[in-house]
Amino acid sequence: MFTPAFGHANRAQRLASILTIAFMVVLFFMMMRTWSTYRWRRWFFVALGLLFPVGFIHQVMVMRGSMGIPIEEMIAGRTPFCFIPIPLLILPAALTKTVVFPGSILPHGGMSGGGMASMAAIWLAITIVVGKGWCSYACFFGGIEEGMASVPSKAKVRKIDLRWRYGPWAVLLAMVLLSLALFEPAYCMWLCPFKAVSEYIAARNTVGMIQNGIFILLFAALVIALPLLTKKRTQCAFFCPFGAFQSIFNKTSVFDVKIDTTRCTPCVLCQKSCPTMALTDESIARGETLMSCMKCGACVDACPKDAAVWHIRGTEVTARPERARLMFLYAAWAMAIMFGGSIIAEGLATILHVFV
Amino acid sequence: MASAFAFGEALVLGLASGPACVASCGPVLVPSLLAERAGLRLHSRYLSAFLATRLLGYLAFAAVAWELGALVSLPSRLRLEIFAVVHLALAGVLLRYAYSVGQACTHSCARSELVTIGGAGNHRVPGAAVLGFLTGVSLCPPFVAAGVRAAEAPSVAAAMLFFAVFFLGTSVWFVPFAGLGWVRRNEAVTTVARMAMVLIALYYLGAGLMTLIGRNVYGY
Repeated sequence: MFTPAFGHANRAQRLASILTIAFMVVLFFMMMRTWSTYRWRRWFFVALGLLFPVGFIHQVMVMRGSMGIPIEEMIAGRTPFCFIPIPLLILPAALTKTVVFPGSILPHGGMSGGGMASMAAIWLAITIVVGKGWCSYACFFGGIEEGMASVPSKAKVRKIDLRWRYGPWAVLLAMVLLSLALFEPAYCMWLCPFKAVSEYIAARNTVGMIQNGIFILLFAALVIALPLLTKKRTQCAFFCPFGAFQSIFNKTSVFDVKIDTTRCTPCVLCQKSCPTMALTDESIARGETLMSCMKCGACVDACPKDAAVWHIRGTEVTARPERARLMFLYAAWAMAIMFGGSIIAEGLATILHVFV
Repeated sequence: MASAFAFGEALVLGLASGPACVASCGPVLVPSLLAERAGLRLHSRYLSAFLATRLLGYLAFAAVAWELGALVSLPSRLRLEIFAVVHLALAGVLLRYAYSVGQACTHSCARSELVTIGGAGNHRVPGAAVLGFLTGVSLCPPFVAAGVRAAEAPSVAAAMLFFAVFFLGTSVWFVPFAGLGWVRRNEAVTTVARMAMVLIALYYLGAGLMTLIGRNVYGY
């Protein structure tokens, strides 16, 4: 459960492991018992979002003594790999057989102990099964804004121009093209809000300062302020290029969420509850979510008529949605435990080191 | 230099560096093409305007390169400044282009016209033409390589001919982009293209400004 940086498990790590296992088991039990998905998943997801930076920053500080990565470290291929630049690497790799990311292909090459190959393999395995469910069960960034979005009881900003939903696609298009032109992962260099809480570019000059300023501003706006104002996952819904890329795989995943139009009133509670605006009047009338649906379960839980249902492709909408939910959750939760569980345990152990 | 061999070299150089040219022009070309209305004919017109003014940019550059002796003799600071000014101009045009797309008539009954920028009436020019010229004079690496060879030409005409043949070689790689005309247009595609143009413009703006004030930007 822990990376080799920790060596043999100590008391804090053992305690963190036990607490994490208990936490994940209890949440799954509550999902099964209450038939509510979103509420309990959110606990996991927020814990993942908050504890990832704790464990990661601790590890970076222990290994390097700073959250800033100097250019020499990047050139040496010691940048920890993250899944977000995956779509930005495809075109340069296809055209030039070069991976334009300053990290190692092999495990232990990066600070995180996981190279690009292992991260890409994890991503592929999860994506094949759950599609964009990755963004609700595996992404270690979305939890902070989901936590922020759940703080206010009511949204202060309710009217959001629907065209902002195209934002992730625009960022994806721009970043894919710029990455090919500049031969660098442009998103990581200029736009990633999560650099503010993970590993930033060592600010040794004006450009570095500007880059870090952009990261902090984007984090403050998209991950803190806007979720508080809108009760939406604004970074995921309006900005994240990986989310847009992942939407494509919603078309290949066997699981999706459907609206049973024979039961729908329509009260649009599902639409209001969706954290990424993946439901519109038109899509509800068609009985489906948009391809940006993250399968978080908010709409299913919000529907008073049980019209929003989990669904397995190729089956009738009305055909045993509870079975579809179980099959999806078994897969999604197993991956959440494997991937997110270790991150939660590591973050927790970092905190427990202080006390035990 | 003016031999058939030299022009063969220009053609091969153009063909070989075409992918690099496409990669370099991609951030300008792809979103602006997607922002246009659908249709193979319209996209062919866009590419014609883009490539024609790109050739103009090449020829202008060839003349300057020959006049100055060799690009390599240009101080690197000056080269960077040219690059920065072109980037700033690209940023301005892309922003204006994104705005103009929003103003353009997109009804199905509307005439298939390229998005124009600039003043009113006859003063309006297709955005594709301006973008083509600016990408034509931007100093991407293959372009500099061709510039060095053109500078060795015995006359300005030979230098321009060398660049024209080099242009032909690179242009082959641009032809498939006309295929974007087959992509169905709706509000989503146009909005994504416009938003992407704004983001790319902001990048060029930042890169241009930082280069002008003497700060290196990653990637250059």
